[in-house]
Amino acid sequence: MNASRLEAIRELDRDYGMFYSLSEDAALESAEFHFSAKDNLTTVDHETTAGSRMLSGWRPPFDAAAVESLRGAGGALLGKTSMDEFGFGTFSVNSAFAVPRNPHDRERSCGGSSGGAACAAALIDGHISLGVSTGGSVSCPAAFCGVVGFTPTYGRVSRHGLLDYGSSLDKVGMLSADCASIAERFPLMAGPDRRDPTSCGHPEHSERSAARTVGVPKQSLQGIPEDVLAVFNEALEVVRGDMGLDVVEVDIPVFNYAQPAYYIIATSEASTNLARYGGMRYGARGEDLDTHFDRYFRQVRSAGFGGEAKRRILLGTFTRMVGYRDRYYLKALQVRQALIAEYRRAFASCDLLLAPTMPFVAPRFDEVEAMSPLEIYLADHLTIPPNLAGMPHISLPCGELDGMPLGMQFTADHWHEDRLLKAGVEWDRRSEYPVPEARA
Amino acid sequence: MRIGLEIHVQLPTRSKMFCSCPTDGGPPNSAVCPTCLGMPGSRPTLNRAALEMGLRLAKLFDCQVPERTWFARKTYFYPDLAKHYQVTQHDNPVGEHGAFDFRGKEVRIRRVHLEEDPGSIRRAGRPGEELSLVDYNRSGMPLVEIVTEPDLSSPAEARQFLSDMLTEIRHTIGLSGEGEQTVRADCNISVGEERVEVKNVTGLKNMERALKYEAVRQTKMLRSRRPVLRETRRYDEERKVTVAVRKKEFEEDYGYIGEPDLGVFHIRAMAEELENKETPLERARRLELQYGLAESTARQLVNTSMRLCDLFERMAADLGAKVALNVTGQVSGPWFHVKDSFDQSMEDAVFEAAEEFWRDGITDSELTIRLSKILGTHVTVEETLGLDVEDSSVKDRIGLNEAVEKAVEENPGIFEDYAKNERAANRLIGEVKKSTGGTFSSQEIVAAVKARLSQGP
Repeated sequence: MNASRLEAIRELDRDYGMFYSLSEDAALESAEFHFSAKDNLTTVDHETTAGSRMLSGWRPPFDAAAVESLRGAGGALLGKTSMDEFGFGTFSVNSAFAVPRNPHDRERSCGGSSGGAACAAALIDGHISLGVSTGGSVSCPAAFCGVVGFTPTYGRVSRHGLLDYGSSLDKVGMLSADCASIAERFPLMAGPDRRDPTSCGHPEHSERSAARTVGVPKQSLQGIPEDVLAVFNEALEVVRGDMGLDVVEVDIPVFNYAQPAYYIIATSEASTNLARYGGMRYGARGEDLDTHFDRYFRQVRSAGFGGEAKRRILLGTFTRMVGYRDRYYLKALQVRQALIAEYRRAFASCDLLLAPTMPFVAPRFDEVEAMSPLEIYLADHLTIPPNLAGMPHISLPCGELDGMPLGMQFTADHWHEDRLLKAGVEWDRRSEYPVPEARA
Repeated sequence: MRIGLEIHVQLPTRSKMFCSCPTDGGPPNSAVCPTCLGMPGSRPTLNRAALEMGLRLAKLFDCQVPERTWFARKTYFYPDLAKHYQVTQHDNPVGEHGAFDFRGKEVRIRRVHLEEDPGSIRRAGRPGEELSLVDYNRSGMPLVEIVTEPDLSSPAEARQFLSDMLTEIRHTIGLSGEGEQTVRADCNISVGEERVEVKNVTGLKNMERALKYEAVRQTKMLRSRRPVLRETRRYDEERKVTVAVRKKEFEEDYGYIGEPDLGVFHIRAMAEELENKETPLERARRLELQYGLAESTARQLVNTSMRLCDLFERMAADLGAKVALNVTGQVSGPWFHVKDSFDQSMEDAVFEAAEEFWRDGITDSELTIRLSKILGTHVTVEETLGLDVEDSSVKDRIGLNEAVEKAVEENPGIFEDYAKNERAANRLIGEVKKSTGGTFSSQEIVAAVKARLSQGP
């Protein structure tokens, strides 16, 4: 990458705000490929803030495993991408720093929480963005920005160096302008890691026969607006006709309970994961040290966390309190098990599942502002189920509505990433993905 | 009176519970890493040795070991708790529903679980300008918590019980004597209906004292018809009283959830493969039955050393319990000093001496001399000769003057040096100390050396 290209990217960043920080050095020139990392993945040479004032200025002492493996394969880190604070959001507007703008319309959101990652994938040629998904944070911005967003099975990629949101849900994923580049680089970071006991080596990432049958869960089409549904149905015809796959309807009743279960598990875990931020050893510091520790923590946390982070900490603290733990947290765990069982049943009769990724195109910022927290949570209706069940999934651009991209999402059974990527590469060949006007 | 205990013992592993930091301390905050400092992006990995010790203890107390176990997050804010949650066990601990045979009485064990220790806080500075310094060396140290049902009926019994239990624990997981000193207990005691918990009492003696104080306090309250409150108290070691603690300090809602970063461990097969060796108290019981030893003798023997028991049993098998006991008794006296150098050849030598004595080849006092020579305990030689060891003239006869003379011979220039500077005597003193190996006190040696030096060559 030469200086003029880097300058062009810098200029794009000024207009689109996709980076929290950008690399300066010449090491970028000799690299085999360039990638960026969502700012909740640790990097020794860049601050890592997860979009939070709480971690402003923090330089971690180690690289995240995913960053380490891409660097090890000759990749150079271009920068850290903007995101919702700790991944809490669907539109990347909950950041203490820059809010990324949609590559197809700067008045619109990139989606979230890996909004900067999707934006960078859309605007920079041949770029790989590392994203992180807890409940859809890779699929959603990929759909809104017209790029491919791939989320592997929970445990496939080490979480070492990932700033936790919901530890039993967080997955490191990849975003790029096409699926082929993801399929090429993904094996670099797949596999077990001693530093993350939930990472898993079995079964290894391998090539299976291509998918033959695609199931469409009928619950995933309920309540989808007509115009979005029409675009999806057209894409479905290509899947059936050009790709020659059998399409069947499947029934996953628990689908509708996934969302409440997800928000209970995710916020319960988040409220403990975020407990460590107390202004003692890293990140933000309180001014008044001459006070009781309770008051010190309150002062640091009140100033350091944004509104949505506070809302989720409160929610998650509530759902694990004595008396509520059984009614909410433990019940949500049961829903997750039931959902996995239903997915398994569905995968007995088909190889992949397919549904729209988001129920609408990227909203304008003024529309986002008018949404209530509950309406925002409900927008994740389609991305949450595979995330809650730990199933690998991929969002692919599948058409446009009012000049804005729409996405569709394939889901595969645990460890069947190869089938997803194969289908994605096929889709690459048969489709024209939206190209933003500005590019570097 | 009903007493139940929650006992915390630090597991003697080489590395911490969830990271590879060493457990042997060092200067403050030297044995730390991103994991035990709770750095963002770091995560725990379970130390298998700690899990194994937990399972051994679960088996020791005849607990039911579940097929699957997992950890939990106990969330509370405190400066020494790096992540502001402690990784512990809540549901499905490594052992539940066990029992401990305490001198014929069954004390039920409710659960055995594993957890990490928080760091520690030191206060420094003048009163009014105090600083709190946090040391994270202890953060992540492996602990086991053993919870009994309230089956104990007096403070003295509780102490004896804990002492017995520690004997068994020590042997089962290889805990050192020092480890025992740091045992911490939360003690639940009720004289009437209501239960009081005395938190965080360190050591056996303090536990008995705290329980006694609390028993008397509750009895007095009940006699004067005042209600005993269900509350948490702590033991003030200086004033030797229990005091109520602020409710908030201990009784908040910890909001337990499963620890998602560690996953689930299938432990039953692992537990089944672990074989606990005969424990000290089991062995004491067997020695009583097999060799007709008194209970106290058998207990003393196992408490001194299992190695010594091996020697006893070897002799008892061939030479009979009487000779074995006689010899073991003489070896156990200086055991503390010789245990580290007591190797197989020493054991064989002791056995040979015992065998000769058994064949009437040597007399009782000859046996004693032989043993003390083998063990290298000079003082007992003098004692067996019937000499008064406190009489310095006796010691002189045996060797101090000889040792001094030898040192003088080996240091030809010593008189000249001594004339210039009296501190030259220190060299000689050091050598004599070394060659006499602790037989004489420093004062005696200093006096003898100075006397010799002042005489001149």
